[in-house]
Amino acid sequence: MFDFMQLVANENMKTYRRIRTWIMLGILLVLAAGTTIVFYSITDEIPNMWMVTELEATFLSSLITIFVVIVAAESVASEFSTGTIKLLLIRPWSRSKILLSKYISLMLLAVFFTAVVFVFTVLMNMIVFGYSSELELAVGSADNMAPLPYMLMFYLYNFISLVVVATLAFMISSVFRSSGLAIGLSIFLTVGGGNILVAVLGMFQADLVDYILFTHLDITGHLSAGETEYTLGFSLGVLAVYYAIFMVLAWYVFKKRDVAA
Amino acid sequence: MREQIPASAAVAKEPVVRLLNVTKRIGGKTIIDKLTLDIPTGEVFGFLGPNGSGKTTTIRMMVGLMGMTDGEIKIRGYNIKTEYEKAIRQVGAIVENPEMYKYLTGYQNLLHYARMIPGITKQRIDEVVALVGLKERINDKVKTYSLGMRQRLGVAQAVMHKPSLLILDEPTNGLDPAGIRELRDYLRQLARTEGITVFVSSHLLSEMELMCDRVAIIQSGKLLDVRALNGAAETGLTGTVVHFEVDRPEEAVKLLEAEGVPVTLAGALLSMNMDREAAAGVNARLVGAGFKVYGFRSVAKSLEDQFLEVTGGEGIV
Repeated sequence: MFDFMQLVANENMKTYRRIRTWIMLGILLVLAAGTTIVFYSITDEIPNMWMVTELEATFLSSLITIFVVIVAAESVASEFSTGTIKLLLIRPWSRSKILLSKYISLMLLAVFFTAVVFVFTVLMNMIVFGYSSELELAVGSADNMAPLPYMLMFYLYNFISLVVVATLAFMISSVFRSSGLAIGLSIFLTVGGGNILVAVLGMFQADLVDYILFTHLDITGHLSAGETEYTLGFSLGVLAVYYAIFMVLAWYVFKKRDVAA
Repeated sequence: MREQIPASAAVAKEPVVRLLNVTKRIGGKTIIDKLTLDIPTGEVFGFLGPNGSGKTTTIRMMVGLMGMTDGEIKIRGYNIKTEYEKAIRQVGAIVENPEMYKYLTGYQNLLHYARMIPGITKQRIDEVVALVGLKERINDKVKTYSLGMRQRLGVAQAVMHKPSLLILDEPTNGLDPAGIRELRDYLRQLARTEGITVFVSSHLLSEMELMCDRVAIIQSGKLLDVRALNGAAETGLTGTVVHFEVDRPEEAVKLLEAEGVPVTLAGALLSMNMDREAAAGVNARLVGAGFKVYGFRSVAKSLEDQFLEVTGGEGIV
């Protein structure tokens, strides 16, 4: 087990020794700070700190997803495109474990980005707008929950979607060895393309829409007391099935593949 | 140096790699056709063939980057298919170019591979860095390295874990003459002092001739021949030319032809294709027949002659 963590350490080194990763984190923090500053300067009345935090969480989660998708897409594909895959695989480790080390390292990066953004935005908004024990939301309400648990759940639900989308990108990266395709397809499908697909399909096969991944990617609606079309359990179930398919495909192809490049 | 392997004579005699009926078919096309080959321990073994003959495919199968359609490969007795992790532990390799992580330093690249094999100390990393002469630049990013330096870093990662077998695919590609010479001397030194078997592929005849103890010649996925180089002392060397210097060459030719020995006259010398035992026999026969034999010597054919002979003079760069 200790030896396996060495593989994860390698993947981490390849991620954090690149300036790219730190630029991504910098962009997230600058945007968060920028949003708070804008709110502070344009509003007459001091806004509720949790409202600003939730707003930032909503768009920063999308951005974290995009950044993690970029790293996921490059993770396998770039080893092929630069040829380093050959030296990586000829070690006394099975291909499955090498792929797993990459996946774990990717998940650690997702946790790292998410945790930093969470702590940063909560602390910053608390300092700027003052602590509030009451939860006020821009849209909807969640009267039955305390602010901090709500925010943690909000981040958790976004994180679940992030994991599924990042795994999709990771799978495409492993199957097609093309980071461009993995980034393009994952982001297109998440940011709108998926909804178009759902809408078009809905015109012909309305009952199939229930089982499309993109119908269930945003599950944060279950947190506030609004009407939701599906139960949380059903949405999580559909996500789990897609997740399992992505994982099996990624591993199966990676294990079987002849490295000819 | 290699404490994990008993250095008994019996083990040393065992071939380090055995390929048995190795076959690779891709989409109905046979790339490698029933290749059977033993690579003896402690030699620099060349793998020679024109571009596209299947050298790289064979090497990729040996290190598990490609699957075999049929046959088996054993490295130090471990099956590459069923005991991959044990088999590959014995191997250090550069497959085609030594591609490294360019955004990492040379040292970080070595650390990366060191972490993948238990028991490689920081001390050992420093040792190989010194060995390949990269001490001054090891903390620079690899993107600033010349091709020769990358090649040396490639060698460092390949020998770091003290493998029994070092596989190098076209290692001289893109190196300047000084770099080639340096690499060649280094490989011979490794084979001699550390007992590492070196398996090196190339399409360059002249290189192989200077570097290798033995070469296997491959063409269109088929093994054509295995030949020992560097001296007639090696038994089983076929295709050695023996030159005789005698007092009456024309008469000697007649005598030998009458006895069924194929012989040609090259100037004043008799030229025959034979091993040294046969040459001694011819000498006795000539002396017995009253000829004055001033001398005879074997002339090893250049690899190029042998190669052209075996491949029928087909395209070689």
